[in-house]
Amino acid sequence: MSASQSAVRSRAEAVKVSRTFDWMILFVMFFIVLGGYHIHYMLTGGDWDFWTDWKDRRLWVTVAPIVSITFPAAVQACAWYRYRLPFGAVVCVLGLLLGEWINRYLNFWGWTYFPVNFCFPSNLIPGAIVLDGILLLGGSMTLTAVVGGLAWGLLFYPGNWPIIAPLHVPVEYNGMMMTLADLQGYNYVRTGTPEYIRMVEKGTLRTFGKDVAPVSAFFSGFVSIIIYFLWHFFGRWFASTDFISGENL
Amino acid sequence: MKLLKDKAAKLSFVALLAATSASMLYTPTAAAHGEKSQAAFMRMRTIHWFDLNWSKEEVKVNDTMTLSGKFYVFLGWPETVDKPEVAFLNVGEPGAVFIRQGSWIGGQLVPRSASLELGETYEFKVLLKARRPGDWHIHAMMNVQGGGPIIGPGKWTTITGSMKDFVNPVTTLTGETIDLETYNLDNTYFWHALWYAIGLAWLAYWVRKPMFIPRSIAIESGKANTLITATDRKVGIAFTAGTIALVAIAMGNTNEKYPVTTPLQAGLLRNMKTFEMPTPTVSVKVEDATYRVPGRAMQMTLKITNNGDSAVRLGEFNTASVRFLDSAVLEDTSGYPDDILAEDGLTVSDNSPLAPGQTRTVQVTASDAAWEVYRLADLIYDPDSRFAGLLFFFDEAGKRQMVTVDAPLIPVFI
Repeated sequence: MSASQSAVRSRAEAVKVSRTFDWMILFVMFFIVLGGYHIHYMLTGGDWDFWTDWKDRRLWVTVAPIVSITFPAAVQACAWYRYRLPFGAVVCVLGLLLGEWINRYLNFWGWTYFPVNFCFPSNLIPGAIVLDGILLLGGSMTLTAVVGGLAWGLLFYPGNWPIIAPLHVPVEYNGMMMTLADLQGYNYVRTGTPEYIRMVEKGTLRTFGKDVAPVSAFFSGFVSIIIYFLWHFFGRWFASTDFISGENL
Repeated sequence: MKLLKDKAAKLSFVALLAATSASMLYTPTAAAHGEKSQAAFMRMRTIHWFDLNWSKEEVKVNDTMTLSGKFYVFLGWPETVDKPEVAFLNVGEPGAVFIRQGSWIGGQLVPRSASLELGETYEFKVLLKARRPGDWHIHAMMNVQGGGPIIGPGKWTTITGSMKDFVNPVTTLTGETIDLETYNLDNTYFWHALWYAIGLAWLAYWVRKPMFIPRSIAIESGKANTLITATDRKVGIAFTAGTIALVAIAMGNTNEKYPVTTPLQAGLLRNMKTFEMPTPTVSVKVEDATYRVPGRAMQMTLKITNNGDSAVRLGEFNTASVRFLDSAVLEDTSGYPDDILAEDGLTVSDNSPLAPGQTRTVQVTASDAAWEVYRLADLIYDPDSRFAGLLFFFDEAGKRQMVTVDAPLIPVFI
């Protein structure tokens, strides 16, 4: 076979090869994103995502969406500009959650015996679907950044509330009131994570009484818009192709 | 194509084999907590643990034991470590093998961090409930913000039974009794599985069609607009609207099901009750102190004055949780861990009773392999080469007095 000859001999074979490449690329992309996104989220979201007694109505709501919109924005930009595929955010979050569940189950539970109901990951899928949906319907990265980024922040807390609400039921324990999540953090000893490390319920947002979660979510949404813009440029840069002429070498 | 697939399969198999070998063939039990690695000055000059008691050495799953004792917050706290203004009474254990059912400082529950005062002694107790069978090294521990974990003495404790039998019942303020070990687990799995399935459905919609190569060619040839069909848009609307609706409905239902919820509780506990140790009538001045590296022994020249009304003898030197005893004065009956107990490790040049009003200068030697094993000898590499510890004197009636020492230490290499 010469260099100018096609590697396939019929249209049917071309389709078959193309589909094989589809699956290979998707498989590789899924696991690369899983690894990169997982490390990124563990380093930036970390304990807020690890433990129920960190999942508060102020900082978790604020921090988790901001640090988690990064990879979805970049992968969306890549998949949309190069292929018009609006599934970048969902692929990222499915990968992240698969990695997180494996980690939480095998490491947190399997090696150090923390109950899964204490160390399950946050749910990011509602925001990811809406982010992809807005990109599909609007066809604009700017619109996706503004509307999708805001929705990403706003949907995070309500998307997780059905899972964490049962753990916010109060309990009286040896003369003090705490939530069941607080009690989990107290009961299940973490040698390297003392109580004072917890960054929960800190800040000056006190004029909204008990309703601080929506305010935190709006703030998170606004910052998510900015982070989306930034990371979508990373995605575009990563997906760009440059040819260098021999003269420049 | 077949060649490519075969190669991919071979490489995947090799990678899988390597990953399995690396992760599974050698997984030793994590038994201790790096207590020997912690800088010696941290253990000698911060929190001094004493009178420790592990109520049981063997305990069944679901049974409880207590770890209790006292700790002295050293007045000569090193400048290189943040002061214990925010500190958390913890337990050093390899994972949650015991759960902490309660912990108290001076009788006050401390589920949160507390502020401790330098130069004060506190009484503490931790109630532990056995959860996972095995032999575990259980330490007292104080985490200090800006200082890190300050680990106290540890003792091997055996848990028998089966973890499957472990229960952690709790009654909430809404009157429901739950098992915290498994509470909310099905709900967590349900919502995560449901949302994952919805995410997969979204992905499945797109991957059933040709993806990368044909779409890339279409975009390169200016046909990008043809790639999104009317059906795609309808599906997009359905998923987006459906997601928002599901989130709203689920949140509403949850609020109906759990009308009483409270925010996470946080805050610092202040004004912890201190333990009043008897005021010492013995005063001690360290004239000099050396550490003889080859002999694994620390020698101090102490000028001791007895200002009390009863003769006293030096019975114990306690530093970094290692206890050096003069067995002629004091014998341990508390079951203190052997590896950090030198029953005859304290030698005093003249330990005859020091009469009231009398002053005597003595040579005190604390020698034991623990200096080396517990890496206390590494003190000579510390940024502030000082030693510190507690001296316990006993009068004729057996009454105990605690005196602290804190002085420079000179290493002797020859």
